[in-house]
Amino acid sequence: MPADSSRLLLDARGLTMAFDGNVVLKDVNLALRAGEVHAIVGENGAGKSTLIKTLGGVYRPGSGRLFLDGQEMKLRSPADAIGSGLVVIHQELSLAPHLSVAENIFLGHYPKTSIGLVDRRRMHGETRALLSRLNIGIDPRALAGDLSIAQQQMIEIAKAISYKARVLILDEPTAVLDESMVGTLFDLVAKLKAEGLGIIFISHHLEEIFRIADTVTVLRDGRRTGVSPVAEIDQSWLVSKMIGRDFPEFSAGTRRTGEPALEVKGLTLNGVFEDITFTAHRGEVVGLAGLVGAGRTEVAQAICGVRHPTSGEIRIFGRKTRLRNPKMAMRLAMAYVSEDRKTLGLLPNRPVRENATISKLSRFRCFGFLRLGKERAFVADMIRRLDIRLAGMDVEIRTLSGGNQQKVLIGRALAVDPQILIFDEPTRGVDIGAKGEIYEIIEELVASGICVILISSELEEILRLSDKIVVLRRGRLAKTLTRHEASESTIMQAAALAG
Amino acid sequence: MNRASFAKIWRRVGVFAALILLIVVASFLSDRFLTVPNLLNILRQVAIVGILAIGMTFVILTKGIDLSVGSLLGLSVVFYAGLLDDHGMVVAIPLGLSAAMLAGLVNGIGVAWARIPPFIMTLGMLSFARGIAFIYTGGTPIPILNESFYRLGNGYVAGIPIPSLILLAVLAVSAVVLSLTAFGRSVYGIGSNEEAARLSGVPVKFYTILVYVISGLVSGLAGLVYASQLSIGTPIAGQGYELDAIAAVVVGGTSLFGGKGTVAGTFIGTLIIGVLANILNLTGVDPYVQQLFKGALIVTAVYIMSRTDRA
Repeated sequence: MPADSSRLLLDARGLTMAFDGNVVLKDVNLALRAGEVHAIVGENGAGKSTLIKTLGGVYRPGSGRLFLDGQEMKLRSPADAIGSGLVVIHQELSLAPHLSVAENIFLGHYPKTSIGLVDRRRMHGETRALLSRLNIGIDPRALAGDLSIAQQQMIEIAKAISYKARVLILDEPTAVLDESMVGTLFDLVAKLKAEGLGIIFISHHLEEIFRIADTVTVLRDGRRTGVSPVAEIDQSWLVSKMIGRDFPEFSAGTRRTGEPALEVKGLTLNGVFEDITFTAHRGEVVGLAGLVGAGRTEVAQAICGVRHPTSGEIRIFGRKTRLRNPKMAMRLAMAYVSEDRKTLGLLPNRPVRENATISKLSRFRCFGFLRLGKERAFVADMIRRLDIRLAGMDVEIRTLSGGNQQKVLIGRALAVDPQILIFDEPTRGVDIGAKGEIYEIIEELVASGICVILISSELEEILRLSDKIVVLRRGRLAKTLTRHEASESTIMQAAALAG
Repeated sequence: MNRASFAKIWRRVGVFAALILLIVVASFLSDRFLTVPNLLNILRQVAIVGILAIGMTFVILTKGIDLSVGSLLGLSVVFYAGLLDDHGMVVAIPLGLSAAMLAGLVNGIGVAWARIPPFIMTLGMLSFARGIAFIYTGGTPIPILNESFYRLGNGYVAGIPIPSLILLAVLAVSAVVLSLTAFGRSVYGIGSNEEAARLSGVPVKFYTILVYVISGLVSGLAGLVYASQLSIGTPIAGQGYELDAIAAVVVGGTSLFGGKGTVAGTFIGTLIIGVLANILNLTGVDPYVQQLFKGALIVTAVYIMSRTDRA
């Protein structure tokens, strides 16, 4: 906890920013004390990234002033910001994969020997000292490309510290981490806080705010709608400040379920997962929980024909099937919405319309030719039904926000009229408003009798939506929990502990 | 006007506007330019590369490349020449086309199944098919004496050169296939994100193979025009044409990164290069210097496109 007496480190006053007359930041104040973790929350488009880019020297504010340690600053470039001790750790990490940890940290200012060669010994020594000070157990000689995402993130932070950063801005650092890695990151943040750094922390995960932040600032539509010590507020306060309304409630556990839709028996993919057995019914959400690497995505992909299991049995509405490819799965009314929008979902430079219908073009075919009018009507209906917000169905999908992209991909899955729908991390990288809307979509689908398999790393999401929870651990079935048995602790116990 | 809407307009009409501008400039530079015989002449001269470029567009839309089209043209040319005398057009034309398509099929299988990078696979085929053309002819050109075959490349229908009609037919069919069939739509999908297309149930391998077969087929069609116009089956026919075809595709606005572009754009790109060559000829510019203009045009066009893409 920062004492009230601790000094004001960063003080932004009345920051305003507009692009083409579009105001994206309006009169925003932000005060950060040394040794404070200050969270910034808000939906996509609320102005978080503009604020970060302004603090990081990427944008110059239209008006407003910025003080660091009481001194007024005019940042002209990111290099300027870094030079003054303001370092942003972006979501997309930027380490050079073929260089070692130490080389990455000292990139651009390698220590030199007397004859001008890189002084590797000193570089490794200093890196080791830095890492051990921060409690980061990574070998300075390891190649950055061989590290996990979490480790790379820590190296980025260590690099920032080596620049003598005083204010560290973490842009959604946990978006790419699973539960256990988040803990390690937070330990590091606590350490930095104790060293007197000021930390600005961006996250979509509200529960993280309560775990780590001292103060929270809420943005909506470019304005500050709330600021408070975290100790004095709760989650519903945050949500209402963010979206101006309450979050929907769900019916998990009270649903009327029907016949078995998907039966998986002893499903095994050698070396990846083995002996997975569960049954999912019509009108039911079955959650697949587990740590990253437990095999959830692989199981889902094996069920819908993307991967080919070595043994075991899959029954779809009682009929035993062996799926060779995703197309066969779709023909049997099963669709998969991938966790990895970028590499497995989007056709980035194609229009929304084509993205939505690629899964079922036969729907619009007449004597071999596509009926574009029919397609347009179908997509217009989908946009209305899923409440997708866009300038028009012919804009490239990459221009949409994460939430709206996700809704289009859900629409693509719905185009095949699925009876079984597998959602893999359906709300990853989408803002809280869209998240609620995606939950409502899932809720509606289930109510109409569709069987949903939900994979999520967010326990809260699994608990909120699932009637039954299948917990995986290292490629094996750890436990199957009913709605009533399930809680964060029972799931985590099954996912992380042996026995 | 802000940058985004400028980019949108450029994407829609930019290449076309560039062609119009070039035509206006050309008509000021030479009063022989804007005459019907000269314009028809341009349309005939661009036919061979134009046809190749349309097949190339299919391949590039899938994020591939086909370096073998010049050699496949040469392959079909020697078969036309070798078979015409003894068997006539009814046998020679289907067999010549089949040879080019078969080579395209091998390209497709290599790329889709064996996962050989398209650049390498078709580079190998460039050499291989050319080799077959040399072996088949023993290195000496085969003269073509067939009268009706000669008409294909040199005749007119309704006052329009037959090669130009073949080009326009290939263009029309391709435009319809790309915009109005599931295959065409999937070609864009594969080029935009192959894995996503596969997960959406697109038969990615089959369609990829089909794309290379189409490229082979149109190479054979271009070979038909070539053999007929020159009345000789030379094994070096079409050498270097692959680069002219790629140039027409990129000037026409198709992205080498896949998933973006149209055959109409490629046609206009072909015309831009053709009109430029024509006006440089009419104004008596040294052929060596013409090469500089062509090179500068290609780089400038792609530069403008990449600028507007980012907006």
